[in-house]
Amino acid sequence: MARFGMVVDLKRCVGCNACTLACKAENGTPPGIFFTKVLEQLAGQYPIVKKKFIPVLCNHCLNAPCVRVCPSGATRKRDDGMVLVDYDQCIGCKACAVACPYKNRELLPQGKLRQGHFKGHLTPFEKVKYSKFQEGVVIKCTFCCDRVDQGLEPSCVNTCPAEARVFGDLHNPESKVSRLIRQRGGFQPMSEANTDPSVYYLE
Amino acid sequence: MTGQTVPMADEEFVMGFRKQNVWTKWIALAFFFGKVGSGMFILAVLLNTPLIALAGLAIENVGKGGSLIIHLGRPERFWRAVSRPQSSWISRTVWVMGVFTLIALLYLAMPQGSPAWQFFKVLALIGGVAVAITDGFIMNDSPAIPLWNTPMLPFLFLLYSLLGGTSVFFFLVYGGWVGVTPLIDLETLETVLIIINLMGVAIYLASLANATATARESLRLLLRGQYSTMFYGFVVAIGFILTLALTLFLGASGGALVVGLITLADLIGHFFIFYLLLLVGVYAPVTGKLTI
Amino acid sequence: MTQAAFSPADKDRWIKSACKMCLHGCGIRVNVRDGVILKIEGDPDNPNNMGKLCPKGHSGIMRHYDPNRIKTPIRRTNPNRGPGVDPGWEPVSWDEALDIVGRRLKKIRREDPRKLLVAINDFQRIHLWGWGAAFGTGHYFTTTGQFCGAAYHPINGIIDGAFASVNDYEHCNYWIQIGGGDGFSSHLHVAGSIKRMADARVDRGMKLVAVDPRMAAYCAKADEWIPILPGTDRAFILGMVHVMLHELNRYDAQFIKKHTNGPYLIAPGGRLFRCRETQKPMVWDGGDNMAKAYDDPTVGDFALEGRFVVDGAEVTPAFQLIKDALKDHTPERMSGICDVPAGTMRRIALEFVEAARIGSTVMIEGKQYPYRPAAINFYRGAIGHCQGTHDHSAIKLMNMLVGNIDVPGGHLGVGLDHRLLLIEPGPDGMIKPQPHILHPPAPFSCPPQTLQMMEFFPIGLDPAHLVAHNILHPEEWGYDFKPEAALIYHANPLKNINGYHKVLEVFRMLEFIVAIDILPNESTEWADIILPDHSYLESYMMTLCEPPVITGHTLRQPVVEPMYDTRDAHDILTDISHGCGCLDEFNGLLNFTMFLKPEYYLEPGRKHTAQECLDRMAKSIYGPEMGLDWFRQNSNAVRRQKPGEMYMPWDGMRISLYHEYFLQVAGELEEKFRSAGRQWDTSSYHPIPVWNDDHPLHRIPAEYDLYAINFKAEAVINHHENTTIPWINELVSNIPIHKGVLINTRTAREKGISTGDRISIESPFGKVEGLARVIEEIHPRVIGISNAIARWTMHPVERKMNVNFNRLLPASLEFTDLVSGHQETAVKVRISKI
Ligand SMILES: Nc1nc2c(c(=O)[nH]1)N[C@H]1C(S)=C(S)[C@@H](COP(=O)(O)OP(=O)(O)OC[C@H]3O[C@@H](n4cnc5c(=O)[nH]c(N)nc54)[C@H](O)[C@@H]3O)O[C@H]1N2
Ligand SMILES: Nc1nc2c(c(=O)[nH]1)N[C@H]1C(S)=C(S)[C@@H](COP(=O)(O)OP(=O)(O)OC[C@H]3O[C@@H](n4cnc5c(=O)[nH]c(N)nc54)[C@H](O)[C@@H]3O)O[C@H]1N2
Ligand code: SF4
Ligand code: SF4
Ligand code: SF4
Ligand code: SF4
Ligand code: SF4
Ligand SMILES: [Mo]
Repeated sequence: MARFGMVVDLKRCVGCNACTLACKAENGTPPGIFFTKVLEQLAGQYPIVKKKFIPVLCNHCLNAPCVRVCPSGATRKRDDGMVLVDYDQCIGCKACAVACPYKNRELLPQGKLRQGHFKGHLTPFEKVKYSKFQEGVVIKCTFCCDRVDQGLEPSCVNTCPAEARVFGDLHNPESKVSRLIRQRGGFQPMSEANTDPSVYYLE
Repeated sequence: MTGQTVPMADEEFVMGFRKQNVWTKWIALAFFFGKVGSGMFILAVLLNTPLIALAGLAIENVGKGGSLIIHLGRPERFWRAVSRPQSSWISRTVWVMGVFTLIALLYLAMPQGSPAWQFFKVLALIGGVAVAITDGFIMNDSPAIPLWNTPMLPFLFLLYSLLGGTSVFFFLVYGGWVGVTPLIDLETLETVLIIINLMGVAIYLASLANATATARESLRLLLRGQYSTMFYGFVVAIGFILTLALTLFLGASGGALVVGLITLADLIGHFFIFYLLLLVGVYAPVTGKLTI
Repeated sequence: MTQAAFSPADKDRWIKSACKMCLHGCGIRVNVRDGVILKIEGDPDNPNNMGKLCPKGHSGIMRHYDPNRIKTPIRRTNPNRGPGVDPGWEPVSWDEALDIVGRRLKKIRREDPRKLLVAINDFQRIHLWGWGAAFGTGHYFTTTGQFCGAAYHPINGIIDGAFASVNDYEHCNYWIQIGGGDGFSSHLHVAGSIKRMADARVDRGMKLVAVDPRMAAYCAKADEWIPILPGTDRAFILGMVHVMLHELNRYDAQFIKKHTNGPYLIAPGGRLFRCRETQKPMVWDGGDNMAKAYDDPTVGDFALEGRFVVDGAEVTPAFQLIKDALKDHTPERMSGICDVPAGTMRRIALEFVEAARIGSTVMIEGKQYPYRPAAINFYRGAIGHCQGTHDHSAIKLMNMLVGNIDVPGGHLGVGLDHRLLLIEPGPDGMIKPQPHILHPPAPFSCPPQTLQMMEFFPIGLDPAHLVAHNILHPEEWGYDFKPEAALIYHANPLKNINGYHKVLEVFRMLEFIVAIDILPNESTEWADIILPDHSYLESYMMTLCEPPVITGHTLRQPVVEPMYDTRDAHDILTDISHGCGCLDEFNGLLNFTMFLKPEYYLEPGRKHTAQECLDRMAKSIYGPEMGLDWFRQNSNAVRRQKPGEMYMPWDGMRISLYHEYFLQVAGELEEKFRSAGRQWDTSSYHPIPVWNDDHPLHRIPAEYDLYAINFKAEAVINHHENTTIPWINELVSNIPIHKGVLINTRTAREKGISTGDRISIESPFGKVEGLARVIEEIHPRVIGISNAIARWTMHPVERKMNVNFNRLLPASLEFTDLVSGHQETAVKVRISKI
């Protein structure tokens, strides 16, 4: 069985946020909600300053706290490693949101879907996209499961101008992700949390 | 992050600490009612005042249960919360509450003094304690937030539930609403409990001083940051100093008003300590030990 | 438009088109389901962006569906205009709107066409820029170059017939980038360039050195960030050139001798020393120790150095003059100016010449080329100053000294369009200077006819920032007319021209403003009539603009039916031309600007639709089989440039190391002014870039203790324009550098300012207020202002932070580069907490 994962090459990433908006466009996430972001990390003091761009998204952890704490069973893990929320079962207790060490989950509050990006006016695009969502439940990055199930790569990977994001099967030692992790010493975010993320970073 | 102080990022696209912001007032209220309710029940059982035990039970179920349901994004689906007790502490607390309520009702239904009554009395007491503690485990079960991830928490929950119960009783008795055979001197109990809780909180916070940077950030928010005024005002000044002063210098002799004040002050401190502990729940920076 | 494409039969379609969320026109594929646009992706079959999209490209959906778009022609009902004053728009029919505009413009045209100001800035439709010429007015009342390209394009054209230039992504190993976002965020073709740059950096281990007062994205990714004071890049460069010429004594002598005018002998006074009989420029043959014609086959060794006496005249090789001129430009002295340590200059200069591998060659597709994998790349930040010509020349000089111009690994000329580099033989064995790739020069006239004084800038680009001043002070240069109306199409002059208060006064003066736009903006909010354009997802265009590496057009085509009662801007201009009686002139103009072959010329008196014109344009460029229909089928004709097109297409001609051409132009200009009886300072027409201590920017009194710069070199923003798109607005609201005025921690501490404080920023020319954002990664003597915090439009999505940088900038001849027309885009300020 495949285990899907992503490798983010921090050397290639230029912090352009194309991924952030490719994700917005693919998923039609409501105002203020991002399934992926590009964080900047700063160190040092002028004139010796270092700035890094670090894209973050749900890590689809193998040992996912969000799955463990979910009282309703709405958050589940697929055999291929994708951690998904079943909107019909979610009771909105937000235990998963609290439990995610990466703060990758958000509640979709009441009213958001009616408000839309243009405050009270829903664009035709939003009308279509918002029909997939439910208010009062917790949402997060889906690893673009619909695209992946059709054999496409996730939207953020597809757009990345620097090709800093690579998607593939972590279980297949020959996949590009596995090779990159091996060759460039890929590491998982906050490994001390023992969540075994499916997202790896290359420095 | 070499030699750099980690910023509090909140929603900005910056690598830094982030505050927990989905468990707020309703969860705090649920904890509050949970503890006060169970505390009242426990004392009521010990002091053998079935009516108040019933009241405690009601507070527990209506107050805590109600707050939890309001907290839900989809209240109409609350019943789903019970489906995974094996792994989820939320499921567990709901179960524990249910079972406890059942036992408690049976205990109250039994003819006083009968062996069954004796038996259920013990069970009910255990249940009360269990209810008080399990909430502590809900918070304690979040490794993501170092501030909460300590066995001290369930313990604090128990202490506070006893204090809460006691001060309510204290009010009811010396306010002259209920008469009980004072097997215990409520006034000293109140005083002792306040002091124990004070120590409990102190030890808990002190234990954080040399914990992870993230826990220390929580501590900073509480003692020096954004929330310090609330903390010193409601928790320390009102919750501890005022209550202690009043109980020590006036106490029951002060009459209904003073007693009422003591209880009120205690409950205010009680609510705010846990409310603030929720608000200052801080996550570590996403990439953890990743440095530049 | 082929209706078939929209048959409801195929409910879920991917249609190929071109992006227009910035000027570059990447290939896109758009997913339309049941008539709704659901996704825009990069077109993997387009060699331009190779399937990549930048964030702006994605945000096109929200621009298209913006409910604030102009849905029908609208007319103002509120007679008083002003910033934030609601025009009280009311819809009018197209016929009525066009009639009003037509009659008004016809009247002006009859009286004096020069009373119409024109602001047209659609970068993807440069062929429409000249509409004013068709009407009979030459004014450019919008930033068309003086904020970015004025000191750039003409100099490129003069040196190697290029329009722009960029380092060789595929072969460069040591890339110095100065004040430009190439390969990261901005300038040439963002999406595709990011990929090419990432491959170079990570796959090939290319070293990147970044020079910028603030840590832009490209600096964050660089191996080394060198903070510098604004407007002093030339000092930094010349300090390094001094090291190369006077300390290391390392440069590509062969290249200079063979491919530049470096060996040409210069007579006293700076002009070429010519053979008395043949009038040919002379060189010194170091072998035979005698002067010879530059093209004398017997020349054994072209001497670069030395001083010689020929026919009694003291003559010196151009190279020697350059070397002499820079003798006193020691790193120590230059360091005092640009605040880069002398040691750093020495180190970088050495690394640069080392990496250049002078003398090495490489085989590409069977042809041998010099191989110089080290080059300096730059743009607006480095040369956007009132001595920009010399800033630019200095950088080109350092590149040329290692022989990297238009060779593999080096600094390559880039064309404006499919014509690529315009290579023609010029006089004296040199390549013909091409300073006028955008539009032909304006013949000298005093008083000038154009308010931007184009007549006085024979090799420059329109200094549009002078327009307002000249309108307000006509007497200074003897203008005998007063503008009364403006036509604004795809431009925001009130926002984009510096010296805001002057521009504002002009807007107050104007009696009639017509705008062609998709949205209200700071300027169109002043219009009397707005004629709504299609969005780019509803219209046609053949896009190609400043392409590095590749060439060829991509078709922009409608992916959905127009949402509203809008029309294609091109067709609107045709209607207006018809209405005011300049249709024939407009058609004539398009024949020229759309590169139409005679057999495809537009007929006089006939209105041609935009599609028709584009079809003829396509056929003229690509042949009769490749009209619009071919492009509908195939989407693009984009291909990689051939090595012969990219590398030394001028082989056999010499390029200009010593800009004697400047002196020639200056001479002619002085002559004209003399006969016109006016004074004009031509001293900046200097053949050698040197540091000039008398620099207007740095002359600003010391009480203005900080420099202020602004920037758009961040991939999420397009000019100021796209901050009204909710997705973009969400991003910039979360990204620190777009949340306030950037101030270095140390400076902020000294001035008692912390993040979130309201501060006032005051230059000698204006004053603005804004929120402070304290950061580490900016020069302590510089504050940075993102274009994302600049706007005040009434658009509901806009954050309206209104830190209008153009209020702070000067807009006068004093702060204008008299060669190129470039304005000063940095300024000195003092700031204080409010
Ligand atoms: N994403 C994006 N791409 C664009 C555009 C856009 O708006 N957004 N606009 C297009 C257009 S029209 C243009 S003109 C180009 C502009 O492209 P760029 O020139 O790359 O962008 P700018 O932000 O104008 O300036 C580049 C850098 O110069 C720095 N700078 C400012 N002053 C100085 C200085 O004195 N010295 C040095 N060394 N650096 C300085 C700024 O901090 C900035 O980082 O981009 C084109 N492409
Ligand atoms: N302070 C400051 N001023 C600057 C700059 C800066 O960096 N800072 N940059 C300068 C530079 S380099 C340049 S090139 C100029 C650019 O200045 P402008 O050319 O004015 O740039 P934009 O604001 O991108 O475009 C102007 C307007 O075009 C309209 N528009 C957008 N899409 C369409 C369309 O499809 N059809 C039509 N008809 N209209 C459309 C929008 O309303 C937008 O406001 O600004 C210059 N001015
Ligand atoms: S799109 Fe790629 S390069 Fe741009 S920010 Fe995202 S990951 Fe980094
Ligand atoms: S990142 Fe957070 S939300 Fe995603 S799987 Fe891991 S724990 Fe769950
Ligand atoms: S919010 Fe929904 S998904 Fe998250 S834990 Fe509660 S029920 Fe599960
Ligand atoms: S995988 Fe899909 S959902 Fe997840 S961040 Fe990327 S685009 Fe968004
Ligand atoms: S670079 Fe310009 S044309 Fe290309 S995708 Fe980005 S906005 Fe569109
Ligand atoms: Mo520009």
